Amino acid sequence: MTVSGWEQLLFIVAVTAVAAPLLGRYLAATFRGGKAPGDRVFLPVERLVYRTLGVDPDSSWTWRSYALAVLAFGLLSTLLLYAILRLQGVLPGNPTHAPGMPPLLSFNTAVSFITGTNWQAYEGETQAGYLADTVGLVVAQFTAAGVGLAVALAVIRGIAGKSRTIGNFWSDLTRSLVRVFVPLSVIGALVMVSQGAVQNLTGFRTAATLAGGTQKIPGGLVASMEAIKLLGTNGGSYYGVGGAHPFENPTGFTNMFDLLFVIVLPFAIIFMFGRLIGRPRQGYALVAVMAIIFLAHTVLSMQAEHHGNHLLPASVSQAASGASPGGNMEGKETRFGPEGSALMTIGTMGTTAGATDSALDSYTPVGGTGAFIGILLGEISPGGDGGGLYSILVLALLAVFVAGLMVGRTPEFLGKKIQAPQMKLVVTYVLTIPTTVLIFAGISLVIPAGISSILNPGLHGLSEVTYAYASVANNNGSAFAGLAANTLWYNVTLGLAMLIGRFAPIVLSLAIAGSLAGTRVHARTKATLDTAGPTFMAFLLGVIVIVGGLIYFPILILGPIGERIIG
Amino acid sequence: MRPALFGRHMITSLVMLAVVTVVLGFGYPLVVTGLAQLVFHRQADGSLIYRNGKLAGSELLGQEFTDSKGNPLPQYFQPRPSAAGAGYDGSSSGATNLGPSNPLLIGFVPGVNTVGLNGQPSATNPFATKADPACVPVSPQGTPVTSPSPGQKYAKTAGGSYVCDPNTIPERAIAYRAFNQMAANAPVPVEAVTASGSGLDPDISVQNALDQAPRVARARHLPVQQVIALVHRHTQGRQWGFIGEPSVNVLELNLALDGSS
Repeated sequence: MTVSGWEQLLFIVAVTAVAAPLLGRYLAATFRGGKAPGDRVFLPVERLVYRTLGVDPDSSWTWRSYALAVLAFGLLSTLLLYAILRLQGVLPGNPTHAPGMPPLLSFNTAVSFITGTNWQAYEGETQAGYLADTVGLVVAQFTAAGVGLAVALAVIRGIAGKSRTIGNFWSDLTRSLVRVFVPLSVIGALVMVSQGAVQNLTGFRTAATLAGGTQKIPGGLVASMEAIKLLGTNGGSYYGVGGAHPFENPTGFTNMFDLLFVIVLPFAIIFMFGRLIGRPRQGYALVAVMAIIFLAHTVLSMQAEHHGNHLLPASVSQAASGASPGGNMEGKETRFGPEGSALMTIGTMGTTAGATDSALDSYTPVGGTGAFIGILLGEISPGGDGGGLYSILVLALLAVFVAGLMVGRTPEFLGKKIQAPQMKLVVTYVLTIPTTVLIFAGISLVIPAGISSILNPGLHGLSEVTYAYASVANNNGSAFAGLAANTLWYNVTLGLAMLIGRFAPIVLSLAIAGSLAGTRVHARTKATLDTAGPTFMAFLLGVIVIVGGLIYFPILILGPIGERIIG
Repeated sequence: MRPALFGRHMITSLVMLAVVTVVLGFGYPLVVTGLAQLVFHRQADGSLIYRNGKLAGSELLGQEFTDSKGNPLPQYFQPRPSAAGAGYDGSSSGATNLGPSNPLLIGFVPGVNTVGLNGQPSATNPFATKADPACVPVSPQGTPVTSPSPGQKYAKTAGGSYVCDPNTIPERAIAYRAFNQMAANAPVPVEAVTASGSGLDPDISVQNALDQAPRVARARHLPVQQVIALVHRHTQGRQWGFIGEPSVNVLELNLALDGSS
């Protein structure tokens, strides 16, 4: 890597290390109950919402009721978004004259945004009008993020709290939106506009180019969508090419800002967890494990893209210098260069955002492996807003259990005994997504409807298909975009994979929380396993690598690793 | 499971959706638009560039500098290859999405991707030409042939060698050298022969601009030093000294050229 590549990485690490704990402190104060910062502004808004909804924000529910509310809200949101996408052609607010989306594409897109996946089988500029974008998709991006954080709060209460109930979905959702996602999005959007991201309602303008031709210049409510796309770890962009588009991600600075806007909040939620359970060290330990994985896949990919594509002729200069970015520049923008592109794109792959500023399909095999690692390890580096927390907690429970078996002691996490009912749920959780990915990808590779969508020949084509299912089942949504996914087979099966990948983990982690809610908290003794120490951190890392790595290893051998060896 | 409870949640969900649709679907984007238009009007509208009162493009979007037949104009600096529509189409941003070993990107490299030719790996590229050992042949209609059907016909030049797909990186490098009158094996900056992620990349590298400068100077009958000075004046360094890559904005550079000659 070049010096400026390392400097950009260090910059990201340093800003995150300062901002995430501070934001975590704010979140903890906000969600602890009782007085919170900004009450004078936020409280009247929240009261108004509660009154409109007719709910008592202080009532606390069982996990079943909480899960039912999440499912009911998800179902209705999907139906509403489906209707908007189908009808956008006849609805007002459509200056670009986008026609209504066909049924299967609408299903896929609605599910995609409600689950926070933001897989985009449609073409941003032409198939989504202004109304569908802002009223349909942006609202879904807000609520998907709010639901994720709400579920994480409920899981924390169940795992660590003394009460048998785990909170109130409506108040968690409202508070998340009012005090976190909306204010931060407004600020973020304005920062992006200041650098050149567009925010207007003018539709296409036609320019007379210097050479005597014409060029259509797009407009749109881009920055407002970009902000919640990133902050909410959603990933769905206004334009088809996402963060590569100069109107979405105009400068090297916005490229770094975008990455920070994705990863700071998920890290902050882990710090919040440590504070809320009164054991900040536990938060630091989980953050450290996540950060190690983040650095591993990001550095791997930055290094590979810096080295470039060794299959190019030697006379095409891929050496980096002050006058040329060098490296693998296919599908990458000059202003970011290969390292800045890999840092941003692969840096978001351990979150459910999967926001990209470059074409993943054109990454080198090793560079693309960085994306696979982030996704296949289950989106815990640092994961989605909320999703990252409950995913790593489930893996921590698994690690505690395995460690308990090894030393012959009843496993305990945060003073609560982990027993058969919890472990059944944990194992189901861990197996659900890999099973979904491997079955759907396996079928796609043998039926014509699956194979015919592949763009690139050979082993790279296998990666396109596997990546698609791994990406959507983990609600990441990034793509090896060569795959022509707007087909009957892919719209339906990818839609199903997204639903399973979103709601199975939510229900299962709420169930785990429910089964632990109100159970006895045992006092710490000398014999208690320290789940915040370096030994446990290393052990947890091992469990994550073994669970994620071994399940998917065969498919990585056939995909990117094989491609690298043959090339 | 619990129909009554689920029903009550459905009703609350409906009200909640109405609330968020109004507040976040209409209120939020309009507030951001209002603030953005007020404080950063130029940027929010797309950093537009006007020439003689007419819209000429955007500072942030690359555009084509070709004649009506699509041939590059030598008097203008040329942007990177583009996969947005037919090239720098602002209504359909896009990348090639070609994988790193795809023959359409890197040409036929023996042992790597020759498999598509006849179903068998071969040790040599049967379509290699003197200039391009990685040549991917094209059909008489001009489409690249990577998996031929029996009896496939190929386009040939008057000299009898195969016509190669002009969009592979090796072919683009050959064309770049010819256009800029560089030596046969002179190094070509990689970003000059690869398509960007958006297809609308407004920038080229400094090296790419310097390689093009002599050609532009010749076409405009300007001293080459004057063009090089202009390149340096339009070179954007890394932000804060370390973020991003140094780059040259093609549209601004060409505008400056038009203004100075």
